[in-house]
Amino acid sequence: MKCCCLFLVMLCVFPVALLCSSPDPKAAPVLKSKSTHTEWSVTEGEQRYRANCSRCHQAPPKFQPAAMGTLIRHMRVRAMITDDDMHAILKYMTQ
Amino acid sequence: MRAQDWTDEPRPVPVLSGSAGEVPIVQGGQTTLVSIISPVVLVPFGEKWLVESRAAFEGDFTNQEPGNNFGGKVNKEIEYLQLDYIANKYVTATAGRFLNPFGIYNERFYPVWIRNLQTDPLILPLEGESRDGVMLRGGVPLSSEVNLNYTTFFSIQSSTNKLESDRGIGGRLGLFFPAHRLEIGGTVEHALVDDRANRFGFHVEQQPFAVPLEFRAEYAHGAEGSGWWIEPAYTLSAMPWLNTVMRKTQLVSRYQQFYVGNGQDEDLPSADTRVAEFGMNYYICDGFRATASYGRQFSSAGNQNVWTAGLTYRWVLPLGGGGRL
Repeated sequence: MKCCCLFLVMLCVFPVALLCSSPDPKAAPVLKSKSTHTEWSVTEGEQRYRANCSRCHQAPPKFQPAAMGTLIRHMRVRAMITDDDMHAILKYMTQ
Repeated sequence: MRAQDWTDEPRPVPVLSGSAGEVPIVQGGQTTLVSIISPVVLVPFGEKWLVESRAAFEGDFTNQEPGNNFGGKVNKEIEYLQLDYIANKYVTATAGRFLNPFGIYNERFYPVWIRNLQTDPLILPLEGESRDGVMLRGGVPLSSEVNLNYTTFFSIQSSTNKLESDRGIGGRLGLFFPAHRLEIGGTVEHALVDDRANRFGFHVEQQPFAVPLEFRAEYAHGAEGSGWWIEPAYTLSAMPWLNTVMRKTQLVSRYQQFYVGNGQDEDLPSADTRVAEFGMNYYICDGFRATASYGRQFSSAGNQNVWTAGLTYRWVLPLGGGGRL
């Protein structure tokens, strides 16, 4: 019982701490910086696509870019893929 | 998120997606024609907002007397209707009706076009269905080797038709190792009504890159009982012959057990139960799949066979042309 309560408290505190955090620019080592613009390579995107998407379902085809923009946001929420993975996969899926 | 970083990304448009399935089930000699249509509506706003909703229309048609015609009612349900706000890289806040984030099956594998076997795991009722409330969730890269994903929620009591919910609090943590496509995690829930019971569970899933194998397993424990399932699936893409057919063919099995507890839930087995299932999926084309399975259920309430065969379909329909952000 105490373990459950402790676990739940930690789960509540954890996202609040994240909510207050600011992104660390050094946290994503695979980012390639180009002035203020951040780009993912298609290869990186393909790797992350293979690592994440087919975990749950058949690898989807490349839908039209506007639909992919929505679907990847949907999967960010639903499958809890990271922000970096989301952008890399979107880059790959819209090339 | 820094808006100026993603100016070349496509502007998201509303999408009407969803799935449909026609899967007759023969269980213990009783045939049920299961027809499911489950539309998903996704409406993005700006760069940080998303409204998403999934409904389910499921008809379980059985042989009716007189006349031996199949009939029955169609169950209609709103599985989720939620507003998501992407607060930053690590946190998404959600409000509304959402799928109960217990384990992995209810949230990730439930749709007919995703699940490998069309029968539900015995412990699925322990995972609950949907809740009304607020939720924080997200994915955090801890290093290049491991990502953490988390969900925490608070839900309210509701008896509103189609929006039923229990008051409770809970959360799930998972560690995902992308290089191995391995995730392990656990869930805890605490009810804030009635007996204030706890539920907890564990999950693991892996898809090794070296072989076309996927492996999923879950354990769940609650006052009503406890149980587990394990589900390996193997795609025959490595077969040296008939490769165009074999790479679309997947063999699946699932073994599961359920142990009755002290609580009551009419959706759970009334006696200790074991089930072994074997199935096959054939991916005809994108989103369109033929599926079949056989299972044998062992229980002190009676043993029985479970057969399924059917078709599932998934569609994605963008409602706009889009552009660039």
